[in-house]
Amino acid sequence: MLRKPIIALLAASALVTLAACGSGDDKSGSGDSGSTEKVTLKFQSLAFQKTTVAATKKIVADWNAANPNIQVEYVQGSWDSVHDQLVTQFQGGTAPDVIQDESADITGFANQGYLADLSQYLSQETKDAVSPGVWETVSKDGKVFAAPTLLQSYVVFGNTALLKQAGVATTGDSLSWDDLQANAKKLTAGGKYGLGWGLKSPTATVLNLGMNFDGAFFEGTGRDAKAKIGDAELEVPKRIHSMAYTDKSIDPTSLTQSGSDVLPGFFGGKYAMIVGGNYAAQQIVEQAPKGFQWEVLPPLKGTSEKQAANPQTLSVPAEGKHIKQAAQFIDYFMKADNLAAVGQGDWLIPTTKAARDVIAKETGGKNGWTQTLASGEELTKAPFQSVENYPKWKDQIATPALQEFLANKIDLAALGKKLNDGWGQVNS
Amino acid sequence: MRTRPAARAAQYVAVICYLIFLGFPLLWLISSSLKSPQEFASITPSILPKHPNLSNFTDALEEQGLVRSMWNSLQISVASTVLVLVVSLPVAYALARFRSRLRPLTNGWILVSQVFPVILIVIPLFMILRPLHLTNTIPGVVIVYMVWSMPFALWMLQGYVAAVPRELEEAASVDGASRLRTIVSIVMPLLRPGLIATAMFTFISAWNEFFFALVLLQDPELKTLPLVLARFVGAEGQVQFGPLAAASVLATVPSLVFFAFLQRRLTSGLLSGAVKG
Amino acid sequence: MSAATRTVAPKQAPKRGRPKQNREAIFLFLPALLPVLLLSVYPLIRGIALGFTDARAGLNVDTNFIGFGNFGKLLHNDLFWSSFKIGLIWTLAVTILQFVAALGLALLLNTNLRFRGVARTLALIPWAMPPVVVAIMWRLLLHPTNGPVNEILQNLHLTDHPINFLGDFSTALPAVIVVGIWVGMPMTTVTLLAGLQSIDRSLYEAAAVDGASAWSQFWNITLPQLKTVIVAITSLDMIWNFNSFGLVYVLTAGGPGGKTMLPMLFAYNEAFRYGNFGMAAAMGDVMVVIIIVFLGFYLRNRLRSEA
Repeated sequence: MLRKPIIALLAASALVTLAACGSGDDKSGSGDSGSTEKVTLKFQSLAFQKTTVAATKKIVADWNAANPNIQVEYVQGSWDSVHDQLVTQFQGGTAPDVIQDESADITGFANQGYLADLSQYLSQETKDAVSPGVWETVSKDGKVFAAPTLLQSYVVFGNTALLKQAGVATTGDSLSWDDLQANAKKLTAGGKYGLGWGLKSPTATVLNLGMNFDGAFFEGTGRDAKAKIGDAELEVPKRIHSMAYTDKSIDPTSLTQSGSDVLPGFFGGKYAMIVGGNYAAQQIVEQAPKGFQWEVLPPLKGTSEKQAANPQTLSVPAEGKHIKQAAQFIDYFMKADNLAAVGQGDWLIPTTKAARDVIAKETGGKNGWTQTLASGEELTKAPFQSVENYPKWKDQIATPALQEFLANKIDLAALGKKLNDGWGQVNS
Repeated sequence: MRTRPAARAAQYVAVICYLIFLGFPLLWLISSSLKSPQEFASITPSILPKHPNLSNFTDALEEQGLVRSMWNSLQISVASTVLVLVVSLPVAYALARFRSRLRPLTNGWILVSQVFPVILIVIPLFMILRPLHLTNTIPGVVIVYMVWSMPFALWMLQGYVAAVPRELEEAASVDGASRLRTIVSIVMPLLRPGLIATAMFTFISAWNEFFFALVLLQDPELKTLPLVLARFVGAEGQVQFGPLAAASVLATVPSLVFFAFLQRRLTSGLLSGAVKG
Repeated sequence: MSAATRTVAPKQAPKRGRPKQNREAIFLFLPALLPVLLLSVYPLIRGIALGFTDARAGLNVDTNFIGFGNFGKLLHNDLFWSSFKIGLIWTLAVTILQFVAALGLALLLNTNLRFRGVARTLALIPWAMPPVVVAIMWRLLLHPTNGPVNEILQNLHLTDHPINFLGDFSTALPAVIVVGIWVGMPMTTVTLLAGLQSIDRSLYEAAAVDGASAWSQFWNITLPQLKTVIVAITSLDMIWNFNSFGLVYVLTAGGPGGKTMLPMLFAYNEAFRYGNFGMAAAMGDVMVVIIIVFLGFYLRNRLRSEA
């Protein structure tokens, strides 16, 4: 066997050679960044629909043309893997300069110290454009960890022909859960279901819509938060379950599929209605067969029309070298025309009133935009957004438990117990 | 051996069942890659595409990042294959020819590297590569792949070296040739088939590798083909089956071609490694 | 074969000339040694040690040695143990079924069937495909609305509604196991076939003269002759299956409801989703111990009964 000194020597020399090759690849410029120095920012965008990608790239191109000293490079990320990717990027010190994510996902990163406090960098204009309630979803202890951009709500899409045929009314300010249930029942006949609901990842839907019934799910914030699961929290899963298994008006198979997996069934007339995030509208537009008529029904209402405001966000890493410039780009991104463009691409609701007005004007409220923008009025911060271990609870506890419940494997009491007890396990 | 006709028929039926099980999935993938989006939207799928066309392939190739990821995968696979051969050949030679004390150590390491779950290695690896500025770089992945595919390369190569008759080398050294010369002019030419087989295997395993790349490469511009494909399928609500199938077919082509070359050698190569290992 | 020759051979090695040979050997090892030490041996040792610390993600967080703290927590982590159970079911089911299926195919390919060359080549297809592509392909095959498997089952009236194999609680693990068998069959088949071909023909001829049936030939000649190959390949399959990651990561990502959450996936999530590196390493440590105990037990029993 080799003696220890030799090993040490070999290891040391290996380190030196490798360090030498490594430094050659170091792309990022060093030194502090004055405002006149030319910098390049990496902007990791999660836009995934063609329209949104195009809109985002246009914003970047416009910015680059106007700011020769602060060039932004568009980098494509993906919603599916953003959390894992950010963990490794932060840990490896390779996080991009501008990061897109969503409010509920970044709480942990903010607490771990990875995100820069933007409160002193963002312009007053940006700060005034967004309502205080939405700023709350990205702030903690007076620090602002992100700029909120777009909001999503869950809406009901209907097959116009089938709704007409069955005489289902689709006007009004809101659609109560009771009416949804009654409509779905009416539309269910002959192997066809009133409702298809892609709930493969049920947690976000249940927690967001849970606000309809004032479901809070958590009390407190950070690591001290406690789970709070009562009747209000369980109302949404209970109703979905009874539609699927008592009324048999929701296709149970659809509950195990993703949102886009149920679209062929919607197009084919197998489902008269589907529930999904409003971004599904873009996919319907792109993929529906010619002549397929669809509409967005009024916002769902329980005791209220409230849904959780879980905005998409733009953040800057605390270790970033160009925080100031990154914030300037974010300010630009938040301008009404820009937010309106990405919002239209994804059929999501801009966080600023000015941008919402632009969309209302440009679309004339058609294709369900009136209903979509209306649903945005009722979005408020939900407790789960400020809970650090929410992502872990969502993956390991809530999603499996809800899936089991929606597959009719456990009853409502067991679901409540799992959601509650599971929190103690993941938050230890 | 004589076999009764009934038994013989049963054997053919069994083979056909096996082949359907093993071959049909690929057939379906290829057929899917030739279908139009409308055909995917229809509720009743058909085995053969109704209007076969290559638009999925052009779509896939236009897809941002796919071509670049193929290029990344190619670079990484070629570089790590060359490195593995350069580094492993001397070791394989030493393992086959010398009764060194390093031999049991090496064999132990080969075994250990198979047993240990990669999760244990990847976290420290990440921590080692970070100060060297090798995380999130192609050279970083190349050297990781080199080390990671060495056990298998050694396993195969030492079998091939052992198959080269020792007498040839001894004859050369009697003629006064240095050992290095002997290796280069006598052993290497005889090893060529073995080297080619090992190279192909290493290439395929680098081309197909997923886990290390997943952890070590975060920059979308650096991602390898499997990473991009996995993202393609994973994106919630946005699975476009046609281009996905087309991209998958493209990703399989290099491995399939190499395997077609290799398949004769496969049995002998593996077995020689196994017997001598 | 290997274990026996390896222990015997060094004793027969000539003593003379050894020091010089050793030095020469070291030089041949040198280029490989550096990267292996730095990127394999050292990370392994450090990885094992990491399981005894509280290393986690965060800017400027300190890492402390906490002894068996992580393992204490793991004992009470039901999710981890249920993932472990799933890992064992997956490993045993895939390894055993794969072996049975592969042995059947190898026996068929070892007969003088026509087209067996073609069959052998086709049988290698799964091996050549990237695991990610395999996963994508099977997702297409098993798709509830577009997949041919459901279509066929419905046409045969075996089911009246499409089954979301990878999304349904009761079918997800079996479906994933089938894919696991599919993907690993070629390697096992080729190895077994090589073993079959190296069996001395005269053994069968002698048995045939004695009037032994095909079954008894299989039982009394084929299996005993194949024993070492079988032990080797099943051990390797077992290790690989237990440690497998990419296939299931893309197929189901551990879902639905954690029903296919293999231990590797679980540990990966702990590290790279939740940032608990120390805890994830501790899970890795537990996995190593289990594998070694399991293998030790398996190999000891197998090899002893051979001797």
